[in-house]
Amino acid sequence: MLKRPSTRSKTSKDQLILNLVPMLDALMTLIIFLLFSLSFLAIVSIESPVPVSTKAEAQKNIKKKPLQLTITVDQNLVQIWSPFGRIKTKKIAHIDGLPDLIAVHNELIKVKEKFPNEKQIVFMPHAGTNYDTLVGLMDSMRSLETTDPPIFIKSKKSDLDIEAKYLFPNIVFGNLLGDS
Amino acid sequence: MRANLSIRHRRVRKKPKVMDELPLTSMLDIFVIILVFLLKSHSTSTTSFSSPPGIELPPSISQNVPPDSHHLIITAESMTFEDERIMDFVQTPDSIGSNDAKYEINKSKLDEGGLRVLPLYDALIKAKQKSELLRAKSKIRTKDGQPLPFDGVLAIQADKTIDYLIIRKVLYTAGAAGYRLFRFLAVRKGQ
Repeated sequence: MLKRPSTRSKTSKDQLILNLVPMLDALMTLIIFLLFSLSFLAIVSIESPVPVSTKAEAQKNIKKKPLQLTITVDQNLVQIWSPFGRIKTKKIAHIDGLPDLIAVHNELIKVKEKFPNEKQIVFMPHAGTNYDTLVGLMDSMRSLETTDPPIFIKSKKSDLDIEAKYLFPNIVFGNLLGDS
Repeated sequence: MRANLSIRHRRVRKKPKVMDELPLTSMLDIFVIILVFLLKSHSTSTTSFSSPPGIELPPSISQNVPPDSHHLIITAESMTFEDERIMDFVQTPDSIGSNDAKYEINKSKLDEGGLRVLPLYDALIKAKQKSELLRAKSKIRTKDGQPLPFDGVLAIQADKTIDYLIIRKVLYTAGAAGYRLFRFLAVRKGQ
């Protein structure tokens, strides 16, 4: 009678177990460092160049009569106008002491539809306008939202109509020397 | 008796081994995924701007992420340029004794008809000179072999309550110091 083969394994299998604890420690430290150094508050910016004007340029402008779209913020109303009378002056009264941003934005869209290639707007807030209102107004001046009607600009390169991404992106402060 | 003992021993041997080590591999996998995600989001953010304490930024729908530049923080009580407090505001005479304190720039620190802020002008000029010196020493040159010109960008981070009266003085001062572009910082709307 044959002997039953042994079930015991002849060679002991040495299972290799990696020591993962130090690696885990290092990863944990790295994650904590990155979590602390990461800013979850998204900071964005609105750019504005310094207004530069020369006498020659001013005289040239007087002859050319450009749009020079201007937005003046008083204590009670916002005025959208052109110093050369290229558009009809529009006055928008404040709501609860603050500018009506939607009405301002809608009015600027109408101007953009009339002058699609215009990019610059002169911003003249009064001294008491706070930073919150300034940013809100700058947003309504420069940004086009998806709900806004599309505005098309003729591309200089391809001569095709392309949709405008911004309303008036070049915001220039027009009263740095004081209220006039 | 011997046979009994042997059987007992065999039973003991057959008992499954209690695992004395935690299975860390899956945990390590999770950590690596988190680490990769954090490293990715860390490397894509090119800005070092954050919202410092004592300042509440207004919301904005702008999508432009500001690159690094000279940085001015205006709180309700002071002005800080490049992490250095350059001046404190003084309380307005009308608001002394009232609960709603209002601050303004000390008139002795203004010139050019109250438009130029002297401590800020000095700090801006110093930063501009330092930047120009670094650019002159740098090996990176323009096509003509000249050092790169000063970019003249100033990022302004102001509390939402700051009036344009103060911001206007800051803009005038920066313009006088040779800064050509202002970046008004805000918090992305919906955050």
